[in-house]
Amino acid sequence: MHGRKAYELVKEFADGEKGHLKIFNNELFERVIEECNEHHNALQSLIRKMQEEGLEVQTARNADHYGALIHHLSLIRNKRCLMAYVYNRAEIIRELAWKVGLLHELPGEIQEKFSDSEEQYFKDHSKSLKSYMSQLSLDVNVDMVPPKDPYIKVRVLEDLGSGIILSDKSANFARHSMHFLKRTDAEQYVARGLMEELTG
Amino acid sequence: MASGAGEWSAEQIDDYETLISTTDVELLKRAWRNEKASPEILPFEEALVKRAKEQIQLMEETVDDFAESGHDPLIASLYQMDLDRAQFLLRSYLRVRLQKIEKFMFHIWKMDTYRNRLSIEEEKFTERCIRDIGKYLEETVLSKLPDNYQSVLKQSIISEEDDMVPEPQLDTFVVAKCERATRPLYLDGSRQSASFDSSRDDHFQMVPGDLCILRYRPFQEELMSGNISLV
Repeated sequence: MHGRKAYELVKEFADGEKGHLKIFNNELFERVIEECNEHHNALQSLIRKMQEEGLEVQTARNADHYGALIHHLSLIRNKRCLMAYVYNRAEIIRELAWKVGLLHELPGEIQEKFSDSEEQYFKDHSKSLKSYMSQLSLDVNVDMVPPKDPYIKVRVLEDLGSGIILSDKSANFARHSMHFLKRTDAEQYVARGLMEELTG
Repeated sequence: MASGAGEWSAEQIDDYETLISTTDVELLKRAWRNEKASPEILPFEEALVKRAKEQIQLMEETVDDFAESGHDPLIASLYQMDLDRAQFLLRSYLRVRLQKIEKFMFHIWKMDTYRNRLSIEEEKFTERCIRDIGKYLEETVLSKLPDNYQSVLKQSIISEEDDMVPEPQLDTFVVAKCERATRPLYLDGSRQSASFDSSRDDHFQMVPGDLCILRYRPFQEELMSGNISLV
């Protein structure tokens, strides 16, 4: 069925939770690519057939012409679906690059959902962002929410030890310990899920 | 459209607005709001960003001095809060722009009007973005497709225009506030600056203080000239 597989691919992405990645569906993806090539072969053979019959491909309007047109349009549709799938995933990857990519490795459970080239793209894009910020000598990836109070209260969710020195102090960031930190310092840990902000 | 300026005369409001709107923080705030609300990327406020950065640096030094000299910690903390807000504004401004670039990089790159609105750093960033995503799309999809279908900008080789490029939606609705009286505006976006066509009655004029919700496109020029700002 024309375009069914590509539709499934896009549907799978659209059904996913917003901003979350599923494992790259390689199998389905390859099937759509295959289908593209099948369409292309069918298209080519129809055009050849028309040429053999001595018809002008551009102007002839017979059954073969419309057959070829359908294959062409199916191919284009498949291409759009493939691109939409990949491009929308790329948008999520860019978002991740903003949040975590500039300072740290991605957490394993996200990384395993990437395909190889997606991982490369994540790294490339993080580098581009980094180079922009170093040219400007200003970090644009902190201060993501408008500041209310320069200090926030956080609880440490994973054992971070005492290795981290923040701009104004160092402390033992043991698991479940609570701290009163500068918001700009704590933000990066909150983004990575290592600390949570306590409100109220 | 919106009602008049209430009890204050337009002149009074004008005076007040000019006074308030001349500080850099206000200017930056306005640039940030405009940038956030408009669907397309706006000209980069180079001089303003430069001044803001200098002022932030100055503030940082002041705060450091306060901390060292053991001055009243409350005052220091107030300075710190003010500093944080200024920094948020600047970062958020730059961030919104980068996010627009990420979204519309191909479109921005091929249109000179948009390209000229970027700062040097943003231009480099756009170039890298396009290179990165180009490489990535090439690897994952395009190289696997038949020859005539491999363009990143076009659906196939027979497309005459670039029909795979995301473009900003200029007909989206925005909330606009009038800063200075505007020229007569038409709802459909047609311009009538040279010869005013009095036979048409679907135009309107905004006076300072007016607030309108309308499509972005007719406001484009007024926004550039600073007659209106977006909220």
